[in-house]
Amino acid sequence: MKINLTINGVDSTFEADPDMPLLWLIRDEAKLKGTKFGCGMALCGACSAHVDGELVRTCSYSAQMAHGKKITTIEGLSGGANRLHPIQQAWLDVGVPQCGYCQSGFMMAAAHLLEENSNPTEDDLKNSITNICRCGTHPRILKAILLAAKLQSNGTSK
Amino acid sequence: MEQVNSKPQKGFSRRKFLARSGATIAGSIALLYFGRSKIRTGLSQLAADAKFDAGIDDFDPTVWFEVNQDNTITLRSPKIEMGQGVFTGFAILAAEELDVDVTKIKVVHASTSMGPQSTAGTGMSNSTSSLYTAIREVAATLRETLKLAASKSWGIRVTSIQTGDGVATSGSRSMRYAEIAKQTKIWEIAETPALRQAYSFRMIGKEHKRIDLEEKISGKPIYGIDTDISGMLYGAVLYCPYFGGELKTADTTLAGKSTDVIKIIQDKNWIGVVAKTRFAAEKAMTSLKVSWNFEPGYTTKDAIDAITVGNGVAVVMQDEGNATDELSRNVLTSEYRTPIGFHASMEPSIVVADVSGTSLKLYTSTQNVAFMRQSIADQTDFKEENIQIIPAFLGGGFGRRGYKHNAVEAIKLSESVGKPVHLLYTRQQEFQNGYVRPNTHHILSGKVDTKGKILAIQHEFATGSMAFLALPMAKPIIGADFLVAGHGARIAYSVPNKRTKIWNSDLPFQTGLWRGVGMFANTFAIECFIDELAVEAKADPLQFRIDHCGTTELLQRRKKLLLKLGEKAGWKAPKADTIGRGIAVCEDRGTISAAIVEVQIVDKRIKVLRVAQAIDAGLIVNPNGVRQQMEGATMMAISASLYEEATIENSQFEQTNFHNYQVAMLKDTPHIETILQESTDMPSGVGEPPLSSVAPAIANALYNLTSFRLRTLPLQAALDNYYQHSE
Repeated sequence: MKINLTINGVDSTFEADPDMPLLWLIRDEAKLKGTKFGCGMALCGACSAHVDGELVRTCSYSAQMAHGKKITTIEGLSGGANRLHPIQQAWLDVGVPQCGYCQSGFMMAAAHLLEENSNPTEDDLKNSITNICRCGTHPRILKAILLAAKLQSNGTSK
Repeated sequence: MEQVNSKPQKGFSRRKFLARSGATIAGSIALLYFGRSKIRTGLSQLAADAKFDAGIDDFDPTVWFEVNQDNTITLRSPKIEMGQGVFTGFAILAAEELDVDVTKIKVVHASTSMGPQSTAGTGMSNSTSSLYTAIREVAATLRETLKLAASKSWGIRVTSIQTGDGVATSGSRSMRYAEIAKQTKIWEIAETPALRQAYSFRMIGKEHKRIDLEEKISGKPIYGIDTDISGMLYGAVLYCPYFGGELKTADTTLAGKSTDVIKIIQDKNWIGVVAKTRFAAEKAMTSLKVSWNFEPGYTTKDAIDAITVGNGVAVVMQDEGNATDELSRNVLTSEYRTPIGFHASMEPSIVVADVSGTSLKLYTSTQNVAFMRQSIADQTDFKEENIQIIPAFLGGGFGRRGYKHNAVEAIKLSESVGKPVHLLYTRQQEFQNGYVRPNTHHILSGKVDTKGKILAIQHEFATGSMAFLALPMAKPIIGADFLVAGHGARIAYSVPNKRTKIWNSDLPFQTGLWRGVGMFANTFAIECFIDELAVEAKADPLQFRIDHCGTTELLQRRKKLLLKLGEKAGWKAPKADTIGRGIAVCEDRGTISAAIVEVQIVDKRIKVLRVAQAIDAGLIVNPNGVRQQMEGATMMAISASLYEEATIENSQFEQTNFHNYQVAMLKDTPHIETILQESTDMPSGVGEPPLSSVAPAIANALYNLTSFRLRTLPLQAALDNYYQHSE
């Protein structure tokens, strides 16, 4: 079927199997490779993106469900070239990534969390973000999200 | 770059470099042809002490470096960036000698057609240590080569030229490196100069941010999985999920019905699909109707029975004094076990194969480019010189990308359609069709004398192999894998009578490298048992360890690190009764690593509250990078210590994805402190050593809290089991 999406502010139409996971549409049709495959069962969060403002694990979300919706991926998180979202700024300042593969998903989850809770505690983060990282960047992820909350409230980024 | 002087220069890196690198793994294997049991014991010590070299013999600066027109310098790395931060470390080393800022060095992977080649692959925590001198020598040679070119251009003596910030100057004249490169048609390679002395380092040892952060926070397509080339199709391969199985019958009718499916090919042990999209390929793969020939009924219990001391090929790895006699009576004996573990790298195995006639291009995530190229040449009709491998950043390595890639299948799929094919493992395949960390069994016996000193200690352990998947030729020679699975099995403490013996058995599934290799399991068993002996001696666990540090350099460094860790982490500080505190230490190829851990049990769940990690890794190139590795190793170790366990039912791993293979998450993050101690003037590894001391430190902390001892990993399952049996 024809799938209409607005990806990072750009309207696009794809011919795709309605059951195809949104992940493959983003990666292989829209050619945005920042959203990653990790498990295919919505367990690890590497494929996280925002769909109409909701946090979605795109490996388990079909193309037809996404039809007509606004998608934001890591490439569009900051809302413009040469800009950084406070989460990305904090990720840079803290120096979070190791292999980096899961980081897009973590950043999308963290950005969404800050939308809903602009002043989270460390326990809030521990209880609500269930993405998987194997390099062990967890301590820096926690630090970076708390920093991003500060940056956001100070308006020092974006 | 064209050059006139292609011969290695007199005094140039190669000779010096090789002389420093000690025994190579190839050398060790060659020696093993003379193997007898006594010699095997000696060799196992030799292998334990060996410093492995980088496997590189090309030290021409024009192969390593390229001066770009924006005055940045590209360094082609023979080692793979898999998250461990080697690109940043290499940039620091190069910048130090090139007189440029670290951010001006762009590091990329060497491919098989461009840049220095490493026959050793990337691993063993030795990328930085094995190239510490080499990269600096090549960079310093490039700097002198640039000066030489400038001196010719200006018609002045080279000694009157200085360099700084990417610019060569002499009096009022100056020229950027980029300009020198642009106007130089023929290079005369300079002699390698003396390297900068440690006291004058401007880059090495300072805090540096990683140089790959920008790409990694903005979703740039830098990984193997991101490869997307013109005309590319998508492959999916159905492998047998059962150990040693072969394809019996296959019905591809349903799978072939989709108009998006282009080709289905059948091999001895797999069926491959090529389709226009990944979704179509995987959908077709799951609609294949197949049956397999395999030996049914193998379970976890069979693997545990096979890996039990007394089974398999035995080699005595250490025999000092007379442990056997000393341990004939009044002995403390304990048994430990560790389970099978997956790497679970976030990026599954990925190869894009592009076959064109007799030549082949592979875009992939691998830890070992040279090994992969050679193994493909062995398994296909492609000649090695016609195989080009373009390595990408890895979405995690941990030993999984050393070998057993899915390249041969990808090549056959590409051949079948005459187009490039992108082949990706599913998560289930990554778990079930890769290779795993073998399970282990340890029996430790020891005796403490009346003065509270260990009189004798013996470590007998059983394991699957880690080395033989890559080095099958070594198996008949060395018998048991003391090289890799036996790493860390010897008793390092100063004890008059000590003995270590490995029992190596085959398993029906493939076992191989896993971060820290044998160190992880062996340190768990030994360092828990040391704690048990400390209880016997009624001694403080930290002081007991210090009291058994003898006079060797490594043991003296261990003692110093333990003292520092104890002091900084407040070993003697008061704590609540609800908190347990434990310590462990290990030594891994010249690096000492120690951890103090605090734990709690909340609602029968183990909670690691705090980990203080201390490391002595010789000279530290980038403290930020070292701390990052210590933090990461701590988290991976918490994961493997508390939760991770692969189990077997009916000749198949039961775990299919992360819902039944639990790993550590944000909720498991303790407060982590990192303590760095510098000692020697050469760096040693940091990627693996900090992993191994965590599991025993947690187990020892749990004992401190509960007064009962858990001797089996994963610890949460062991605790659950304890509660079940005590209720």
